[in-house]
Order: sequence, then C-alpha cells, then structure tokens
Amino acid sequence: MPFKRPSTLFLMAGIVVLIAAIPVFFVIYSSLTLPLERWASLWSTRLPGLLWNTLSLAVLVALLSLVLGVSSAWLIARRAFPGRTLATWLMILPLAIPSYVFAYIYTALLDDDGWLGGLWQSIFGQESLPPDPYNLWGAGAVLGLAGYSYVFLLTRAALSRTSRSLEEAARIQGIGPWRTFWSINLPLLRPAIAAALAVVVLHTLADFGAVSMLRYQTFTLSIYLQMTGRFDYQAAAALALVLVLLSLGFLVLERFFRQRQRFYASSQTRIVVPKRATRGETLLIWGWLGLIALFAFILPAAWMLGWSWESWKDDHLDRVFWGYVGNSLQLAFLGACLAVVAALPVALYHKRRQSLMSAGMVQLSSVGFVLPGPVIALGIITFMLAVVEPLYGGLAALVLALVICFLPLAIQSQDAALQQLTPSIEQAGRVLGAGPLENLWRVTLPMIRGGLASAWVLVFIDILKELPATLILRPTGFDTLPVRIWLESSEEMLELAAPAALMLVLATLPALWIMMRGEKRAEQAG
Amino acid sequence: MKMKLLLTTLALSLAAPMIHAADSLVVYSGRKDTFVKPVFEEFTKKTGIEVVVHAGESTALLNKLRLEGARSEADVYISNDSGNLDIGNSWGLFEPLPAKITEQIPAQYHATNNSWIGLSGRLRVLVVNTQAKDIDFVKSVFDLADPRLEGKVGVINSANESFIGGVSVYVEEKGAEATKNWLKGLKKNTGKNVYSKHAPIVEDVASGKLAVGLVNHYYIYRHLAEHPDAPIRILLPDQGDKDMGIAWNVTGAAVVKASKHKEAALKLVAYLVSEEGQKAYSIVNSEYPTRANIPAAPTVPAHGSFKTSKVPLSVLGNKRAATLDLIESVGMP
Repeated sequence: MPFKRPSTLFLMAGIVVLIAAIPVFFVIYSSLTLPLERWASLWSTRLPGLLWNTLSLAVLVALLSLVLGVSSAWLIARRAFPGRTLATWLMILPLAIPSYVFAYIYTALLDDDGWLGGLWQSIFGQESLPPDPYNLWGAGAVLGLAGYSYVFLLTRAALSRTSRSLEEAARIQGIGPWRTFWSINLPLLRPAIAAALAVVVLHTLADFGAVSMLRYQTFTLSIYLQMTGRFDYQAAAALALVLVLLSLGFLVLERFFRQRQRFYASSQTRIVVPKRATRGETLLIWGWLGLIALFAFILPAAWMLGWSWESWKDDHLDRVFWGYVGNSLQLAFLGACLAVVAALPVALYHKRRQSLMSAGMVQLSSVGFVLPGPVIALGIITFMLAVVEPLYGGLAALVLALVICFLPLAIQSQDAALQQLTPSIEQAGRVLGAGPLENLWRVTLPMIRGGLASAWVLVFIDILKELPATLILRPTGFDTLPVRIWLESSEEMLELAAPAALMLVLATLPALWIMMRGEKRAEQAG
Repeated sequence: MKMKLLLTTLALSLAAPMIHAADSLVVYSGRKDTFVKPVFEEFTKKTGIEVVVHAGESTALLNKLRLEGARSEADVYISNDSGNLDIGNSWGLFEPLPAKITEQIPAQYHATNNSWIGLSGRLRVLVVNTQAKDIDFVKSVFDLADPRLEGKVGVINSANESFIGGVSVYVEEKGAEATKNWLKGLKKNTGKNVYSKHAPIVEDVASGKLAVGLVNHYYIYRHLAEHPDAPIRILLPDQGDKDMGIAWNVTGAAVVKASKHKEAALKLVAYLVSEEGQKAYSIVNSEYPTRANIPAAPTVPAHGSFKTSKVPLSVLGNKRAATLDLIESVGMP
C-alpha cells in the first residue's frame, strides 16, 4: 500500500517528462543523421565563435543581473523607507517587457535622433557617436535589464523567509554589516540566487529576439538562421545539441550549488521587521533603485507611451489590433494553467524522492527551456503530424510547444516552494488519516500556494512574450502581440509596434499583482 | 461548477480544428503582410472572398507546407524568391495553373510546368552614401570584398533568400572558387554589420555608419519615399561590357495542391496577374511588374535601361543547396 502512491505519481511525472522530452529526442535523432564531414565543417567554421559569443554573453548577463538583483532585493527587504512598495513594483515591472522590445527600444533611443543619442551628442558634441548597442556589451546590458528581476524576486523572497536571528547573532558578536552579509546572508541566499541565475542564464541562452535585433551571433540565433535558410534541419539540430549539452552542464552545476545546502524555514520564524532608513540612506537607496528603474522600466515605458499616443492619434488601433491582444491573452492563460498542472507531479515526485532518478527527471524536463523555440516547434510539428494528426492545425500544437518551453519555470518555482515545506507537515497530514489526494488538496497545495501562483504568473508572462515558436506554430490567422511586434518592427513601423508592446506590459500587470499578493499572504502567514 | 466550465472551455479551444472561417482563402505569404493585405482587401471587395494571411519567412513557410502535406490549410503560397517556388514544385506541392493565367506573363517568369507564376521582379543592387569618400572604385558586387571597404559594408544574413539567390547567380557567372574568395573578403569587411533585415542597412548607409550596402533595389526607394533628402543613391553593379550584369529574382505565387478552395485560389492568382493586381502588388512596392507592357514606377530605373544577368531563374532553386554549402564553408553568419 505505501508504494502505490509513489508509483502513480511516478507514472504521471514520467508521462510529463516524456512529452517534454519530445523535442530533445527530435534533436538527437536529427543531429545523428548529420554526416561527419558537415560536423567537421561546423566545428571549424562556426562552433568556436558561437561558443565564445554565447558563453561570454551568459557570464555578462549573469553578473549584471546578480549585481542589480541582489542589491535591490537586499535594500528593499532589509530597510524601511518611504515608497518601498513602489520600489518593489519598479523592480519587477521590467519582467513585463520582452527582451526584443528592450533591444528595439534601446537601438531606437541610442540612434542619432533618439532621446539618448540626442542627449549624448548635446553633452559630448555632435562629433561623438552614442554608444553602439550592436555588440556583446549592448546585448549583455539589454538581457541583464530584461532579466535581473528574476534575481530580485527570488532573492527578496528568500531574504524575507530567512530568519533574522542569525544575522542579529552575528551583529551582536560585533561583526560588521558587510561581513555579516558575506558570511551569513549570502550563504543562506545561495540556493535562491542559484535558482534565479539559472532562470536568467537559460533565458539568455535561449534568447532569440534581442540577439537578432542586436545582430549578436549566439547559438540560438545561428540555429534559427540555419533553419530558415535551409530545407534540412540537421545542422540546426547539431547546433541545438551542442547548446543542450552546454546548458545541461550548467544546470548540473547549479543543482550542485543548491543541493549542498538545504534550509527549512521553521514555522516560528518571526516576521522580519526591516530597519528604518535614515534620511541620507533613503536618498542613497532611491538614487540607486531609481537609476535601475530609469533604464529598466521608466525610459522604455515612456518610449512606448509616446509612440502609442502617436498611434492612437493616427487611429491605428482598430478591431484587428484588439484581436491580437485577445489571442495573446487566451494563449498565455491556457498555457500557464496547463504548465502549472503538468509541473506538479514532477515537482512532487522530486520532493518526495530526492533520488538520482527524480533529479534526472527534473533535469530532462528542464532541457525544454534551453532548446531554442524554433527547434521545439519543429519537434512538435513532426511529432503531432506523425502521432496525433487530427489535433494539428488548431491551438494544440502551439500550446503544447509553449508548455514544454516554460515547464521548467513552473517546476523550478514549485520545487523551490516544496523544498521549503518541512516534510513533517505532510507526514502529519497522513498520520491524521488524510488520503494522498486529500492530503495534497488540503495540506500540500495550500502550503505552496505562493509557489503555485508564481509558477503560473512566470509562465503566463513568458508565453505572453514568446516569439520564435509562436511564429512557426501559430494557427493560420492567429497572430499574437509579439508576432505583430516582430512583423511591424522589422520595417521600422514604430507606430504599430509600440502599442503592441504597451499592451503586453498592461496584460502582465494583473499577473504580477497576483504574484505579489500571493507573496504578501505567504509572508503574513509565516 | 465554475471549474468544470473553465476546463470545458479550455479543452474545446485546444481541440478546435481551426481559428478562422472555413470558407475563407488562406495565403501563406513570405511577403510582408502589410504589403499584401491592401491587395487582398481589393480582391475581397471585388469577389466577396475573404482572405486570411499567414505571414512569415518564405522558406519557413515552404517547410511548413511540406511538413503539413495534405493536412495543410494553405490555398495559396506567395514567396519572395523563385528558388523556393521551384523547390516547392519539385516536391509536388503545387497545382499547375491554367494557360489562361500563365499566358498573361512572359515565359521566363514562370515555371516550365506552370506550377507557379512570377508576380514582381527585384534587382540585387548596391546602395551607397553620396558623401562617402574613396568608394568610387566600387563598380561590381565583387568589389565589396575589397580590403579598402573594411567596416564600411553592410549585408543581410545568409539565411535570407535574396542573398542566397544572388550568390547562386555569382557562382554561375564567376565560378565557385572566385565566389568563395569573395565571401571570405565580404565576411571580413562586414564584421558585425550582418543585418537580419534589409531596411536598417539602407538606414545605416543614409546615416553614414556604412558607406555601401548590398540590398534589393526597392528598399532604397522605400527609404527615399520617407526621407526624400537622404544622402543615398542606387548603384547598379556590373554594368560594363564584359560584366555579368545585375542578379535578379522574382516573387511569385502558386496554388497549393492540398487546397480545398482551388477555384477561389485561382481567382486570387488571376487577380494578382491582372493589370490592376500588378499595380497594387508590385508597382506600389517599387518593384518591376512581370506582366508585359506595364511600366515600373517612375522613380526606379526603367526596365531595359540596365544590364541583367543572363543566368536563368531556375538556378536559384536547383543550386540552392550547393550555394548554402559554399556559404557554410566560409562561415558567413
């Protein structure tokens, strides 16, 4: 009897993982058919450059988002200052802006006649050219600004969960604030930071829109180009395989960092009361956070508003446009619900087992995140036409691909929430006579409500922003906002791209609100 | 109960076979939809047939057609590149067009078995900044590999069908070895100036960031229409007596074999080759109409006033794979 539950759970988790792995099988199969001499030619002409470009970008983005995310999270979690709620919102709002919109806006802003370009030339003279975003630094800055919010969110959550007693103990012993941060906070935060960096780096590795706008050659961009120009997918699949191996190596590293330590939040954690900031500190805090917010949200938002206003005046926002908004919302809603449900068995199984097998399953389902969208799309088309042909043509193929793309995000958040759950609570439920389902429904799920909510929201936002897979798999006549931004911005049609980007931001707001409310509740409950 | 309703709605929207009305015509368009939609709207006004445009990259859409096979919803395929149309033809994806449509267009602009028809012609030309110094020596596309142009040249990435088509023509004219060396020089000269779209190349030539770019001719006129004073001009390459002439390409349409609305699809193609359709489709975009006796827009060089390559269009399809291998061997992005 005691073995029955895990086996059902195992079966469910297994099915989810198998489906999520379809694109990986496709990649392995296709790249195995690539003749050796073409491997050799890829190796000599492309791989070294791509490896260097991709890895250096990943490192740069990780560093930037680490600095921005951890500093802002610590300031907001540990200091009370006027406008703290506003600051929190400003730090997470960049999540609503897709990376390619960031890239697009910054190229426009840095143009000679853009706001920043004009400002630059009025300061440094007409002769000096504004910084050129079409390189590693430009791509790194854009992806860092687009991604640091993940680090902020997870670090802040971890900071408000970790008990302050350890910090206080250190301070009482006469250890200074910096050393306390290094030797107490940072080690405690390591799992959260590692998880957040994983999300940021995986986003970077899989990013297509921003690097293609900034003309920065990474694996994903090269794979896309290999696919769009050619009629065979072998070279694209081969590159994708290298990318998968790369990410796998990275994920193993990340797991290693997280496995080394596990902290259970005791239920008696006191509510953390942040220290009141002095007037000078407040000024400094707002100076730093304001600077981040200026580049990560305020400038882009102002730009979108400005051009959307033009668009509104020119009557570009017609019924067709609102149709795109509806399509995007429908798709993101569907996908987020399915992803949360699909992630649950995998996360639960891993939580209960903590075995090599369960970790492997989590790993395998994570690979979907790092496979470029177009490759996932192709794997799904091939699979559907071969196996479940009648479902092809509607939304099913697209939703399936998107769920696979972002399933790891849902698993990560649920896993993080479950890891915080003391095993004894679940055991208590069973001891008190609750069946496995009842226990899940009445004990486990309510306890990880926050994790479920953030899983849903993160997937919702990512699907709302997704471009390359949607471009390939969208049903006929079904255009989403990102697809329109892509099609419009390609011809410099700002007036049409800006309102679409603005709509994306607005559509994300309620989702972010749900997540923040969930967190607040969890905080109060703690 | 609410939960049940929600789940049912979700399941239904997942299983729904299609999103649009069943009797509307579906066009897979490799041509940007803002350029084809006005034409289709005219068509709908005339015939009452609704058109749903599914826009994307020509090659990606052709791949989609092939994967979907008989299951495809597409009725008409429009490509920016005749190579794609020939390849689709060789895969047996298209329905032959009746003579009453094909005879309206000169024979060099359609497939030998009439499976597709050309709608507009475009030239592979250079755009130069009129104030750029020391570029007077540039007379040929092959001059773009000259070391003197390092950092001054912009090209589109090698997944672009117009770029690939151009390279196929150069290989036919000058041989694989010369073209390979040219690509190597071009790779060095362009550096990070490999674009994913043509329009920004023209913009950067206009702003002076680049001295010269390799583009399709209409992008220059599109830019000039918005910025009449932009310091750019068209440079028709390879015009000397012994030179190869300009590489060119056509966009075209085909009726998909799997189509369930063939009659309506043929009506659409017939409209596109009609005088009115040609004006709306090709002249509006500063391209050369394929229908005889319709002059191009007055802004572009008159048809016949320049020399074009004698290499037949069919090369773009049947040499595509070899050209891609050549590009790959150089590692051009």
